[in-house]
Amino acid sequence: MAGRPQHSGPAPACHPVRLVLERFRRVLAHNNHALELIADMGEKLGGDFLFDQRYILDSLARLTAAVRTSIEALNELDDQRHQELFPVCDRLTAQLRAVAAGREEREGPLLLPLAAIRPRHWGLVGGKFAHLAEICRDELVRVPEGFVVTTRAYHDLVEANGLREAIDRFEGLLSRADAEAAEVEELRGRLETALRQASPPPGLLAALAEQLAAMPAAGQGPFALAVRSSAEGEDLELSFAGLYRSLLNVPAETESLFQAYREVVASLFSPPPVQYRRRLLPGEGPFAMAVGCQRLIEAAASGVAYSADPLAPGGSALIVSGSWGLGEAVVAGGPADSFRLEKTPPFRLLASQTGDKRAGRYPAPAGGLEERPIPPADRNRPCLTPDQLAAIAARVVRLENLARRPVDVEWAIDTRGGISILQARPLLVREPEADARALPAALDAYEQLSSGQGKVVQQGIGAGPVFLVSSQGDLQHFPDGAVLVSRRDSPSFARVMHRAAAIVTEIGTPVSHMATLCREARVPCLVDVPSILDKVRPGMEITVDAEDRRIYRGRVAELATYRAASLNLEASREFRLLRRVVKTVSRLHLLDPLLRELTLEDCQSYHDLLRYIHEMAVSKLVEVGRDERCLLRDHLVRRLDLPIPAGILVIDIDGGLAPEAPPDQVPFAAVTSVPFRAILQGMLFPGAWHRETMPVGFMDLVSSMVNMPPNGLVGQYTGHNIAVISRDYVNLCFRFGYHFNIIDAHCHEVARDNHIYFRFLGGATDLTKKSRRAKLIALILEALDFKVRVKGDLVIGRAGNMVRSEMERTLDLLGRLVGFTRQLDVRLESDASIDHYARAFLLGNYDVVSKP
Amino acid sequence: MTSEKSRPFRLLVVDDEPIVGRRLQQVFSKLGLEVAVFTRGGPALAAMAERPFDVVVTDLKMEGMDGMEVLAQVRRRSPRTKVIIITGYAEQETARAAFSQGAFAFIAKPFRLDELKRAVLRALEDEPAGPRNGAPP
Repeated sequence: MAGRPQHSGPAPACHPVRLVLERFRRVLAHNNHALELIADMGEKLGGDFLFDQRYILDSLARLTAAVRTSIEALNELDDQRHQELFPVCDRLTAQLRAVAAGREEREGPLLLPLAAIRPRHWGLVGGKFAHLAEICRDELVRVPEGFVVTTRAYHDLVEANGLREAIDRFEGLLSRADAEAAEVEELRGRLETALRQASPPPGLLAALAEQLAAMPAAGQGPFALAVRSSAEGEDLELSFAGLYRSLLNVPAETESLFQAYREVVASLFSPPPVQYRRRLLPGEGPFAMAVGCQRLIEAAASGVAYSADPLAPGGSALIVSGSWGLGEAVVAGGPADSFRLEKTPPFRLLASQTGDKRAGRYPAPAGGLEERPIPPADRNRPCLTPDQLAAIAARVVRLENLARRPVDVEWAIDTRGGISILQARPLLVREPEADARALPAALDAYEQLSSGQGKVVQQGIGAGPVFLVSSQGDLQHFPDGAVLVSRRDSPSFARVMHRAAAIVTEIGTPVSHMATLCREARVPCLVDVPSILDKVRPGMEITVDAEDRRIYRGRVAELATYRAASLNLEASREFRLLRRVVKTVSRLHLLDPLLRELTLEDCQSYHDLLRYIHEMAVSKLVEVGRDERCLLRDHLVRRLDLPIPAGILVIDIDGGLAPEAPPDQVPFAAVTSVPFRAILQGMLFPGAWHRETMPVGFMDLVSSMVNMPPNGLVGQYTGHNIAVISRDYVNLCFRFGYHFNIIDAHCHEVARDNHIYFRFLGGATDLTKKSRRAKLIALILEALDFKVRVKGDLVIGRAGNMVRSEMERTLDLLGRLVGFTRQLDVRLESDASIDHYARAFLLGNYDVVSKP
Repeated sequence: MTSEKSRPFRLLVVDDEPIVGRRLQQVFSKLGLEVAVFTRGGPALAAMAERPFDVVVTDLKMEGMDGMEVLAQVRRRSPRTKVIIITGYAEQETARAAFSQGAFAFIAKPFRLDELKRAVLRALEDEPAGPRNGAPP
């Protein structure tokens, strides 16, 4: 394959095929073992498991060993030709160790624009801005533009000012319950003062100047900044709210900004948060401080909103309060307007109270805020119109959905009426202890639709009306806050996950692709819940408790209260660490193994490396399969005798053919390989394998000859279609007409181990037609719940984590698809025909191909 | 969930990693149990001296007093209290030693919370028979 390492020197030895196959299986086994370890770690993020830091470190050590063993196995298979994989592995291991030690918050950029923050940056931007960066992706929510001065900058500041040793000593004191209060206080005060007067680390001022210059000034005049704390762990514990400093109306120039930055950073060591940490979070530190700098909204009105009434968090009302000017008056408890609205559209106003707003806070010319009197006409006038109230309510409900719990939101409306979200954090609700005690009894009073059944994908509690999904099209109408109920899980649910209160399916596993996505979106999710579809109907309100695996009829107010009052432990240090580790090992950069650019430099994670190893091992097998001398000498290749002219040669590794199968011309009945049999069954399905010769035009033929890669995979198998099979495995490489197709599938009892890998390339027509066929195949694969990538006329589809019966059904359909699309690109005269043929296939109208 | 003396069932958790106690506190409080959490064995046993606990969940490998020691002390001072050992170093040997010293159950970390819930409920049901205001679900 082009782009692969071209091995020079003597041709590889022709080992006995049995030995090669045995080694190939060993590579697969080690690879799978490593992938299982990754999947296991991912599963722990769902909240259904109890794990500790020791588990994370142990798992990493085991994973590292497994990846190395996999590399060794590949080298054994392929004559030690992959020594270059070891240093790559070492590089990734070192990177991972840095993540595990929490050191990655010390590496990376000094500044990050809010819009550029991705999950991999979460360690660098602190809790508050990781969260803001996440919500600013939502199309409804607008967050003022800005950037974050990262924890890397904080560490540089600490180093540049020689404070590292003092901070380490301070953290040591904080983690000890018996530390002398006077000693803690003395060191705390010293650090606070030193940071307030700190000199900038190298490069920081220049970076700040550059970012400020890049922020276009909206409207007229210079703009000012809001500079806010974003400490690690700030969103872990609700009460950190307000303990660190924030500065408003900071002039947007480098020197003032750096001074404000120092003030905010120094508040890490101000008395309230330090006392708080000593009391409630011993041993959680050290915390680094990131600082967010955003354009200051020139607010006409601003305030806070609660997505639930703190006194009745299970109810159906939300609360908005606001005042003229910047929202400090509301936060500080000054006179304000307050409104109570229904939580569901059209957000009807339930009650309102207008305060006597005599003064408001506004940006002062010299920086900071100043108080100004409110004109008499405005004092007793509500600061929000009904439309503005409804618009704020819609955003608050959306934010509650994203946070998976009630939220406390700071909002502002600018002088032109635009609504911005300044902050969103969990709403602090204190549940009276008596209520907590009474919870089990209170829950007994509700009707349970399901109890103790199903598997937890993501823990949590969600309530809402049932929305049934039976096809991807249904997702277009998915309403905010509904509970998605479906027969089987699908990664396509990702489109609506962030708006779903919960997800429940009858079929599914906690290690599917959808499960991973659910955990990323933190949507409460139960799968494998028997006959739930019989127990619910559309629109019916239900409450899903994906902690105790119960589904209740109606909205259980007590559970909503419980949810609002319990700590979000998924924001704890261990969850954050495991989440970062899993991201680092499982991120996949090598998405197109068939494309030319597959190089070792692209291996940026263990997952990439494992995929690379897999590809190399398959290539080796293909190479052996191609070498007729090896195959024939060992008498391992047998022809298949099928009623269709598919011309398939079979290499049986282990149990793929019946023991009594003839040495040649093996009939279909003797195929015992589960996945291979399923594919063949599909190919043999009446009508799927059309026999008509397509009208190939002269130009079609010419272009196919011109575009055939001379030494590419396409040209290798002249005359041979080869299936390497075992009882539960198939690797089928074949050429029909002018296209090249691989199906690699593993199918046995453990759903997690199962996978299907499908790739398709080439065709005898011009690129437009070939691309149409690629699109057609992609469309069909997507309908079959494959994860699909298309590039030109290359299609790569992946599916997995399916139970055996689902695997067989899907492979059968792939067999039909192979037959169906064999020569179809010649027919694909327009883009409209893609949909036409896709629909025909999905409806089972295979004979559409033979019709003109 | 309450015991025969009309008080809630009491659960004591000892694990040197704070996350374990925090999570178990949440899980078992929701079931109506009274939960006390410690990161070291000494203070945990001191708490036991003040009031009885029905079940103790303890880690095995801890600095200072380890889980086997906690087990031995609990068995000596309060034979009715059930001890469940949770540990990341699940080896046959340790499990056997723990059982021979009277551990009620042995669960390897990481585990599904359901698994521990079931073990705790079994331990509570295992109480000597007597009138009770509430039975475990």
